[in-house]
Amino acid sequence: MNSSTGPERCAERAAASRRQLLCRAANGFGLVALQHLLAREAGSAQERNPLQAKPPHFSATADAVIFIFNVGAPSSMDTFDPKPLLNERAGEPMPASFGTVGGQFTDGTNPILGTPWKFRRYGASGLPVSELFPHVARHVDDICFVRSFVTRSVVHAPAMYEVHNGRLFATHPSIGSWVTYGLGSVTENLPAYVVMPQPEGTPEGGTSCWSQGFLPSVYQGTLLRPGPSPILHLRRPAGMTRDRQRAMLDLLQAMNAIDAGEFDSEMQARIAAYELAFRMQAHAPEAVDLTKESDATKRAYGLEGERTREFGTRLLLARRLVERGVRFVQIYSGGGPLSMQWDAHKHLKQNHEKMAGHSDQPVAALLEDLKQRGLLDRTLVIWGAEFGRLPTSESGNGRDHNPHGYTMWFAGGGAKGGQAIGATDEFGLRAVERPYNMRDFHATILHALGLHQDRLWYLHNGRHEKLTDFGGNVIQSVFG
Amino acid sequence: MLAATLAACSVSAAAAAEGGGAGEAAATEYWAFVVPAARHAPAAPTSWARNEIDAFVWKQLHARGLSPSPPASKERLARRVALDLTGLPPDPDQMRSFLSDDSPDAYRQFVESLLASPHYGERWAEKWLDVVRFADTDGFERDGYREHGWRYRDYVVRSFNQDKPYDRFVREQVAGDELFPGRTEALVATGFHGAGPRHVVGGNQDKDEARQEVLTEMALGVGQALLGLTVQCARCHDHKFDPISQRDYYRLEAFFGGTELQDVPIATESEIERSEEAKAAHEALLEPIQKQLDEIERPYKERVRERKREALDPTHAAALATPEDERSEEQRRLAKEADSQLKPVWYEIIPLMTQEVKARRAALRQRMHALNLQKPDPPAAAFAVSNLAEAPDSHVLQGGDFRRKGERVQAGFPAVVGSLGFEAPAGGAGRRSALAQWLTAPRHPLLARVMVNRIWELRMGRGLMSDPNNFGLLGGMPTHPGLLDALAVRFVAGGWSVKAVDRLIVLSGTYRQSAQIDPGHASVDPDNRWYWRAHRRRLSAEVIRDSALAASGRLNRALEGKPVRIPIEPEIYDLIFTEAEPDNLWPVTPDPFQHDRRSLYLLNKRTVRLPFLANFDQPDTMTSCSVRQTSTHALQSLSLLNSDFMQAQARALATRVLRQCDGPDPACQVEQAFQLTLARGPDPAEARLASEFLASEPGGLQDLSLALLNRNEFVYRP
Repeated sequence: MNSSTGPERCAERAAASRRQLLCRAANGFGLVALQHLLAREAGSAQERNPLQAKPPHFSATADAVIFIFNVGAPSSMDTFDPKPLLNERAGEPMPASFGTVGGQFTDGTNPILGTPWKFRRYGASGLPVSELFPHVARHVDDICFVRSFVTRSVVHAPAMYEVHNGRLFATHPSIGSWVTYGLGSVTENLPAYVVMPQPEGTPEGGTSCWSQGFLPSVYQGTLLRPGPSPILHLRRPAGMTRDRQRAMLDLLQAMNAIDAGEFDSEMQARIAAYELAFRMQAHAPEAVDLTKESDATKRAYGLEGERTREFGTRLLLARRLVERGVRFVQIYSGGGPLSMQWDAHKHLKQNHEKMAGHSDQPVAALLEDLKQRGLLDRTLVIWGAEFGRLPTSESGNGRDHNPHGYTMWFAGGGAKGGQAIGATDEFGLRAVERPYNMRDFHATILHALGLHQDRLWYLHNGRHEKLTDFGGNVIQSVFG
Repeated sequence: MLAATLAACSVSAAAAAEGGGAGEAAATEYWAFVVPAARHAPAAPTSWARNEIDAFVWKQLHARGLSPSPPASKERLARRVALDLTGLPPDPDQMRSFLSDDSPDAYRQFVESLLASPHYGERWAEKWLDVVRFADTDGFERDGYREHGWRYRDYVVRSFNQDKPYDRFVREQVAGDELFPGRTEALVATGFHGAGPRHVVGGNQDKDEARQEVLTEMALGVGQALLGLTVQCARCHDHKFDPISQRDYYRLEAFFGGTELQDVPIATESEIERSEEAKAAHEALLEPIQKQLDEIERPYKERVRERKREALDPTHAAALATPEDERSEEQRRLAKEADSQLKPVWYEIIPLMTQEVKARRAALRQRMHALNLQKPDPPAAAFAVSNLAEAPDSHVLQGGDFRRKGERVQAGFPAVVGSLGFEAPAGGAGRRSALAQWLTAPRHPLLARVMVNRIWELRMGRGLMSDPNNFGLLGGMPTHPGLLDALAVRFVAGGWSVKAVDRLIVLSGTYRQSAQIDPGHASVDPDNRWYWRAHRRRLSAEVIRDSALAASGRLNRALEGKPVRIPIEPEIYDLIFTEAEPDNLWPVTPDPFQHDRRSLYLLNKRTVRLPFLANFDQPDTMTSCSVRQTSTHALQSLSLLNSDFMQAQARALATRVLRQCDGPDPACQVEQAFQLTLARGPDPAEARLASEFLASEPGGLQDLSLALLNRNEFVYRP
C-alpha cells in the first residue's frame, strides 16, 4: 500500500546481484554467498519492517515502560492513600451524605471497615505508605502517586480492559501494542512488547488484556517465561540441533530467495523474519538466564526468599529485558485463583499481607536496580490496577471493588518523584480532587514516550481509532 | 499507508456538535446511496478480455498506460483457484486431469468442480464469520462456551454450499424466526445477532447496561456486516461526515428493541426424552465418584472451617454462637458474613492432604473428567433470538451512555437510504422482518454492492472499495465504480447467486494473470490498484494450517459438527482464566483424528487464541474484521519451524513421499515433495538444491519437507 518508490529502486539494484548469487548458491549451494545475500535481503527488507524503530513525535522522557499490574485490585486506603477517619468510624455506616455506593457484590449499606495497617511518612517528601510496603516506602522520593484515578466498571474484566486499552471491552489494542506500533523496536533479537503473567494464572480479562486487537499480529504482546524455552515455540524440537536447523534454513532461504521477486519486499521481510527467529533462539534464552546476575542483585530482588522468589525473578527479568531494548514490559502481580489475587472480598489482612509480601521487596529492588544502572531516568515504571476497594466492609473483614477513586503510581521515565497528585474524599470512596480517567492515564504514558495521542492512530472499520479515543488530558504535573 | 485521509469519526466533539447530522443532507446524492444502475461494459480487446470484468479492468489499465500480465501457468493457476475457492490445495488427481486436458474448456470445468466442492462453503464461512465476529465463547472473564453456537457456523457453511440466494441468506439471519416460522434452519440463522462477544458475569450487574451492550452488538452486526457502514461512530453523537446520524443509529437499534438472545430448543420430543435418559445415565456414573470425592474432602473442609472459626473476631464469633432464632437483625448480618468467611476453598484444603490422599483425589477427578468427555449432548437447540412479549421503549442515548436517555425513537430506516416503501411496525414482533425486507429490497443501494465487494476482495486480494465495511462518505471511491455497480446489478438480477459472481471473477482474464512483478508497471502502480497482475497475498492462518495438513495427507475432511479442542501447549493452557481448580480447563477432543480437522472447526475461544493461528493474523473476533491483516514477523517463523504441529506435518509428509516413491529415489522424492506442497514439480535449479540437500549431512527428507512447508511460495497465494 505504500506508494513510495524508494525501496523498489533499492531492490532493483539489489536484484541483479542477487540473481548472480542465487545462481551460485543453487550451483554449489554456496553458504557464504547465501549468507551474503541474506544480509543484503535483510537490509532492504528493513525498509518495510513494521518493527523498525521510529522516532517519537516529540522529545520523550522515557524509552521503555515496565507496567506492574496488580490483578484483582489492591486497596488504596490500605496502601498509599491513608484515611485515618476509617479507623475512627470503623463499624459505623457511611455518612448519608456519601450516598450508598455499592460494589459488585455489596450494596453500600455495610459498615465502614478500618485499616489493619499503620502508615508512616518516608523520605524527604514525607509521603505516607502503609506497613504493607516497607521496601517500596524507601523510594517514595522517586515515586509520583496519583490518588484520583477513576475507571468505569465495578467488574474486573471490563475495568481491566479499560486500564489496558481505554474501553470496557476487549475491542481495542492494548497500550503495549499501541506503543510498539508507534515506536517500533530497538531490539532485533527480542520481541518489543513482552508480557509476563502470574504463573498461577491470568487476570480475569484473560489474554485479551494484552491483545493487539485489530492491529497486525506483529504488534502482539509476546508471552515470556523464565526457563529454557522463554518464548512459545522458541526451543528447537528434540533431535533438531542448531547445525541441522541451520542447514535446513539455508535450503529454505535459498528457495525463499527464488520466490522473492525483484520488487517483493514482503517476501524479503519474510526472509529476514527467519533470520531473526534463528537469532532469537540464541538471544532470548540469554536474556532470561539469570546465572550471570550477582548474588547481591538476586538477593535484592528476593530470589532467595520463599515469598518473593517468583515475582522477584520476573521483575529481574523485566530489568534485563529493558536493558536489552525491549520497549514495553507488561507484568502481572496476581492472577488465576483468588488466593493469588489482590481481590480481598474477605480476609483483607491475610490477602494483602500475602500479596504485598510477594511484591514489596522485588518492586523496591527494581526501582533501586534501575536507578543504579542509570536506566530509571528513561524507564517509566507504572504500578496500577483495575480499581481500588471500598471503605465499607464485605463479609466482615474484606472490601468490595471501588472504581470511583484509587491510586496508581509512576516512577522514573521523567516522572517527578516525591509527590502525590489528586485526592479522594476523607473515606477514600471517590476521587474529589483532580479526578483522572483512563484516557488521561494513557495520554500521560504516551506523553512520556514522546507520542502524541492524536497522531497515533490506526484505520479500522472506517474509523481512525486511537488509544485515547476522544482524547485525554496529559497529567502534566506528573512530570513536575 | 497511513496517508492523508481525514479522520472519519475522529473529528472533535466540538466540530461534531456544530455539524449535528449535517451528513444527511450532503449524503442523499452520494453514489453509494443511489441505486446502482446497469452499466455497459467498456470496449476491450477480445484477445484478452474473457468477460465483462476484464472490460472494466482494461479501461482503467489502458488509461494509465498499463497492460495486463500474461496468464499464470496452468499449475499456478490451479493452485491459486483451489486455494481461493476451497481454502485447500488442489486435489492431485483433479490437478492431473486438468493439466492433461488441453481443451479450451478445461479451466472452466476445473472451476466448476471446485465450486461444487463442499469445501467451497467452508472457505466462505471463514470469511463470513470474520465479518460477523463469530466465536464459540462469550468473551470476558467467564468466556463461557456457547453450547449451540456451532450450528450457526454450519448454517453458514451449508448456505454457501447450496448457493442460497444472498437476499434469502440475509433475511434468514436478520429475521428467520419471524419470516420462516417452524423452519429450523432459519431459526439457527438468527445466531447472526449473537455472534459477537457478550458480557456474562455475576454480582450486582446493571441490567440496563448489559441490555445496552447486547443491543449495540446487534446494531453493529447489521450496520457493519450488511450495510457496510460505520454505524459505530454514531452511537455517541452526530458526525459531520457520517451518513448515519445519532438518531439514525438509535432508530436502527430500535429494530432490536424486542429481541433477546436465546437458545431455542429444536429437538423433537423423543430426542429430548432420549437425551434426558442419557443424561440421567451419565449422572448415575458420576454420582459415586462425586460421593467419594465429597467423603475425601469433608474432614479437610471441616478442619479449614474450624481453623477459620477460631480466627473469627469476637463480634462475628458471638453472632455465630448465638442460636439462629435468637439473633438480632445485626447478628443475622454478622452471622451471614461469618459464614462467608468460614467457607473452605479448594486451595485451602488440598495442602492439608497427605500425598496419598491427594493422589487418590486426583485420580478420582481424572476419572470424572474422562467420563465427562463422554457426556451426552444436551437436546439440540438453536443459538438464536426470540421476541420479548413487550418491547421496551427505545431512546437516543446521549454520548452513548445508557444512563442518559434522550429522545424516544421508533424503529426506522437510516435517512440516507430512506424507507424504500417499507414501514417499521411499532409493536415488538415484526420489526426485524421489516428490517430484513428493507435490506433485501432489490432497490436497496447498499446490500448488493457491499456483498459483491466482499466477494471481490476475497478472490482478488483487495476490495474495489478498499475498506469493505465503510461505504460511507469517508470510505472513498471504488477503484472501478462501473465494475462494482455492474457486478451489483448482475448479482441482484441473477437471483443473488454468490457462486455466479465467484464464477465470473475466477474465469476472468484479470483473475488468471500471473503474479509476476513487471518493473515498469510497478513504478506506475506499485500497489497493483489497477490489477495489472494477480495479487500475491499471504494465505490466511487457517488456510496455511489446512494446507499443511493436506500436504502431509493427514487432513480430516469431515464437514460440520461440534467444535474440536486440539491439544494446546502448556503455556497456552495456563492462560485460561479460572478461579476454580485448574484441571480439566481444556478437555481435548478424545479422537485424535478430529485434531486434524480444518481450522474452521477448531474451538475458537475469545480470551485464549490458538497461537499458530493468532500469529498469522487470525482476527480476535471482538470486532468485525473485513480484511485480514497480513503481518510478517519472527514468531511466525518460530511456529512454522518448531511447533509440534509443523514437526508432525513434516514427518507425515516425508513418510507420504517415501510411500509414493519406489525405493530410494531422490529425484522422485524431490518431485513428490514439491507436488504435494506447491502443486508443481521443481524447476532444474530447485531440483538441484533439493537433491543436494537430501544427499547432504544432516539433510534428509523430513527437513526438506519442513523447508517446503515453510517456503514463501507455500504460505502465499501463487
